[in-house]
Amino acid sequence: MLKAKLKYFRGYFFALPLLIALTLAILFPAIYNLGIAFYNYNFHSQSWEFIGFKNFAKLLHDPFFWNSFRVTLLWVIGNVSLQLILGLAIALSLNSIIHFRGPFTGILLIPWISSFVVVAILFIWIYHPQLGVLNDILLRFGIIVEPIAWLASPGLAQISLILANTWKFFPLVMITIFAGLQDVSQELVEATQVDGANWFGTFRMVIFPTILPSLSTAVLLSTIWAYNSFTLPMVMTGGGPLRATEIFGLYIYKLAFDAFDFGAAAAASLILFGQIMAIIILYLRVAEKGRK
Amino acid sequence: MGRFISSRKTKSKIIKTLIYIFLFFISSIVIFPYLWMLLTSFKPIEEFFTYPLKWFTKNWTWIQYAGVFEDPKFVAALRNSLLVSSIVTILSLVLSIPAAYGLTRMRVIGGKSMLIGILSSQFFPPMIFFVPFYIILSKFKLLNTIPGLVFAYLSVTLPICTWMVANTFQNIPRELEEAAQVDGCGYMRTIWEVVLRMSLPGIITAGMFAYVLAWQEYIFALLYTTTSAAQTAPVVLFFYLGQHQIDYGRLMAAAVMLSLPVVVPFVFMQRYFKQGRGEGSVKG
Repeated sequence: MLKAKLKYFRGYFFALPLLIALTLAILFPAIYNLGIAFYNYNFHSQSWEFIGFKNFAKLLHDPFFWNSFRVTLLWVIGNVSLQLILGLAIALSLNSIIHFRGPFTGILLIPWISSFVVVAILFIWIYHPQLGVLNDILLRFGIIVEPIAWLASPGLAQISLILANTWKFFPLVMITIFAGLQDVSQELVEATQVDGANWFGTFRMVIFPTILPSLSTAVLLSTIWAYNSFTLPMVMTGGGPLRATEIFGLYIYKLAFDAFDFGAAAAASLILFGQIMAIIILYLRVAEKGRK
Repeated sequence: MGRFISSRKTKSKIIKTLIYIFLFFISSIVIFPYLWMLLTSFKPIEEFFTYPLKWFTKNWTWIQYAGVFEDPKFVAALRNSLLVSSIVTILSLVLSIPAAYGLTRMRVIGGKSMLIGILSSQFFPPMIFFVPFYIILSKFKLLNTIPGLVFAYLSVTLPICTWMVANTFQNIPRELEEAAQVDGCGYMRTIWEVVLRMSLPGIITAGMFAYVLAWQEYIFALLYTTTSAAQTAPVVLFFYLGQHQIDYGRLMAAAVMLSLPVVVPFVFMQRYFKQGRGEGSVKG
């Protein structure tokens, strides 16, 4: 009896080394982080003191916390909407052509596999006021008269960073939607066309409902990655100018390794984690409703 | 009626052309910075600062690459990057292949939920590990060491690797495995001959994915390495930027070299991407 039951757990024996590694490298640190959030770390005496929710209270009274809250919100909304528009447009285009589909897809995926640091360096250079190629092109075509310092003023730096990050991440959205487009029934598309529907009619009635699951998956993924961002703002602006690009990742980094306030950094990372969990739960709710 | 059809045909032809132009335009925007980086890395330094910019050079030179290789810091960083990525790749595969096999092909209770649980840890923000990793690594004297970096990187590569290998295992029909056993194949030999051999492309893809992730990793390397004992190439590249007088030539040459080892795996991985990795990873 016991032996018969044990048979169904034998697979876990194979998984044991992995599960141990995951516990050590992910589960334990995550729980440890949860604990740290309720302690205060004294860097000079290297001692810990339990302070309850005081770290969270401190964050909520920190104007820089709310600054990075706003910056992150703008960052996420800007990135997700731009990536969605671009990704959808390109996926639809790729799906409607016959020739050169492979080469186009290959080229368009390059930014996604590129290293963040390389992308950041490329864009620092593209945006460079004197040596940058963006100003060069705009000047050549007479669109601007004087070189623009793209990363020097708060508003412009926010937009420039969002554009760079969109360039890095739109392939993920594109490929996800493209996969969804393969499920669109060609017969249904032709049927609506025979009925005299124009392109938008077909899109609204057939294509959109079919790709809705992959669209929402794409939105979920790009939202999570936008929240988890770190490297592009870190390398390109360091959070500046005037903390205009200090998204949560950078705020937490500065708390932990500039101020050595480990407790507050852990608490802030939990708040970030909470926001991501809220979005995933919202997604699952919507996905569940769509299935009914 | 005939005229209506022909006008509709020309209209759709125009739209098709416009779509090609659109794709060509976007692809150029994507590929352009890389070409620019490549072209510049072969330019002599004087031509960097001419204004308006010179897009092509007549004086091709290897001098930027020579400069990079003469910098002991960067050479050490490349070696560290190579070492860390290789160890992480091997460990990821060694741990994830048996686990994926056990959870997908052995009729276990809760295997599927276990896999989804493992994958979902991929969406944890890296920021929740900033402080605990730092404390753990410093307790075990692993800051500034290769093993310390490997430990941190496994938290990134293990979930996605396990998921990818499990996905390929699921695509192998169970009958094949049973048939092999009927034919008198032993247990381990069945696994080896049937399952592993058939899913080899998927396993290679997963390994390359782990390799590329580790090769490009920047955040943990920045936080947990401060000396050239374990510093990786992306971090050194970042410090090139922080210098008072940025040496753009050297920076570009170094960036090209950081990108190159990703190009080859990419050709293989493209097949996997085309199936829509984002879709598969969440739908489960």
